[in-house]
Amino acid sequence: MGGARGVPVAGRTMTDARALETGVAPAADPGAPGRSLWHRLEPTILGTTSIVVLLVVWELLPRLITVSAGTKLFFTTPSQIAGTLWRLFATGSIWTPLGVSASGFALGLSLSIVVGLPLGVLIGRSRTLNAMLDPFITAFNATPRLVFLPLLMLWFGLGLEMKVVIVFIGALFPILINTYEGVRNADKTLINVVRSFGASEWDIARLVVVPNAMPYIVAGLRLAIGRAVLGVVVAEFFGSESGLGVMMVQAAGRYQVDVVFSGLIVFAVLSLAMTAMVQVLESRLTRWRPQRAGEE
Amino acid sequence: MPAYISGRNVNLTFRPPNRGPVRALQNFDIDIGEGEFLSIVGPSGCGKSTFLNVLLGLIKPDSGDIRMDGKPLAGPGTDRAMVFQEFGLLPWRTVQANVELGLELKGMGGDARRKLSQPLIEMIGLSGFEGHFPHELSGGMKQRVGLARALATDPNVLLMDEPFAALDAQTRDLMQVELLRIWQTAKKTVLFVTHQIEEAIYLSDRVMVMTKRPGRAKKIFKIDLPRPRDYEMRVTPEFNKLKLQIWNELKDEITV
Repeated sequence: MGGARGVPVAGRTMTDARALETGVAPAADPGAPGRSLWHRLEPTILGTTSIVVLLVVWELLPRLITVSAGTKLFFTTPSQIAGTLWRLFATGSIWTPLGVSASGFALGLSLSIVVGLPLGVLIGRSRTLNAMLDPFITAFNATPRLVFLPLLMLWFGLGLEMKVVIVFIGALFPILINTYEGVRNADKTLINVVRSFGASEWDIARLVVVPNAMPYIVAGLRLAIGRAVLGVVVAEFFGSESGLGVMMVQAAGRYQVDVVFSGLIVFAVLSLAMTAMVQVLESRLTRWRPQRAGEE
Repeated sequence: MPAYISGRNVNLTFRPPNRGPVRALQNFDIDIGEGEFLSIVGPSGCGKSTFLNVLLGLIKPDSGDIRMDGKPLAGPGTDRAMVFQEFGLLPWRTVQANVELGLELKGMGGDARRKLSQPLIEMIGLSGFEGHFPHELSGGMKQRVGLARALATDPNVLLMDEPFAALDAQTRDLMQVELLRIWQTAKKTVLFVTHQIEEAIYLSDRVMVMTKRPGRAKKIFKIDLPRPRDYEMRVTPEFNKLKLQIWNELKDEITV
């Protein structure tokens, strides 16, 4: 890819590097020897305390100050949200919208990996393909993907297909561009090593280029998950037949603020779970890296 | 001795995209006998490493005739293997998987690979380290793995590109002894590129001095020291005389 996209790529990679660092730092820290229990648990205790304080204040606020009935309509409390969440899961009424949202997310993200990873490797390795595809990638990447929404709704309707496509085009570029960057960064000597043993271009990709790009790819995946969730939410807010986002919009129309918050929490928990999964994947895939040695 | 590898009039010019062309090799001639240990010394950038890559089949020369065992050279092959300067180990592969790399690319199955790699890992003294990753090894251990990997496919020719340059002086001395021991038992043809005259004399049957870029063969010294060689030979008058002769050839080519 040419210089036209140099700046956004650099910015992206920086963000990824930071994301990687913050992902690694807390895991490496607790292992440090010679530290007291308090020292090791301090961040956890402080973090938990601030959350608990926030929840308690939120819960008590409506009881301490009097608010008008009209204002009350827009507010809820943690206990109410918890009760609603419990009800949604207990009655099973959340499973259908959750399933719809999750399948849109999973299908779109999988598709973006299946397309983005090989394509990133190809354009990273082939000057011809790079030159041919660069204008499209640059133009697409520079455009906010959500502007395609009306068009996609027109073409694919309000069902699962539209959601998959919007998630796909959102998640594709972080994976594609990061894979490309990682591939360009491959060690020339290592490529020569496998070539000297008669490796084909496929062997080079399999044995050197992709393992070498793995940290970049995982960082791209992390970004892609965020974009994919965003795609699901936006698609469901602005035009879908069903899904968690639709449930939230409909609840907001009925002033069911607790249901809106429940949907929000489910989205947040799912995103956190996905991020945690990527972290596990990352530590498994990069076991060979020196900075990981201390943890084992 | 009939030449096992021969190069005649090899010419190679690099044409980097944003700079002027660089002539790496000009009318380069070389003959290497079967089972011979030949070292090449020359100033930095004289094309000696380039020629190793040509022999390895990674770079195609612009012109010239290169033959191995009478047949023209065509691309990489398992009859040649390289030991790389910065070891060239795949950091995401264990010691064993690195040693077995060439065998794997030949399509050999896991059990057959293990049968070949196990004795090699033993020979380089890394038994028990099979599951370690390169970053857990010292420089000397890494280059032993590099050597074992090159030997695993049982090539006739071993190409060594300043293999001990990244090691400290003591490790380097030990690795030289090790290399001679392995060469004596495995009987490979070795082409060894180095900056160090002493190393070249100690190891080699012949030492070639190359001119500065574009590289040509300037002079070849026959090293008649008896084998097996030992460390004491490095302080003998004959050794020092050779060292001085080679240095006198080399110093005119070096510009600081």
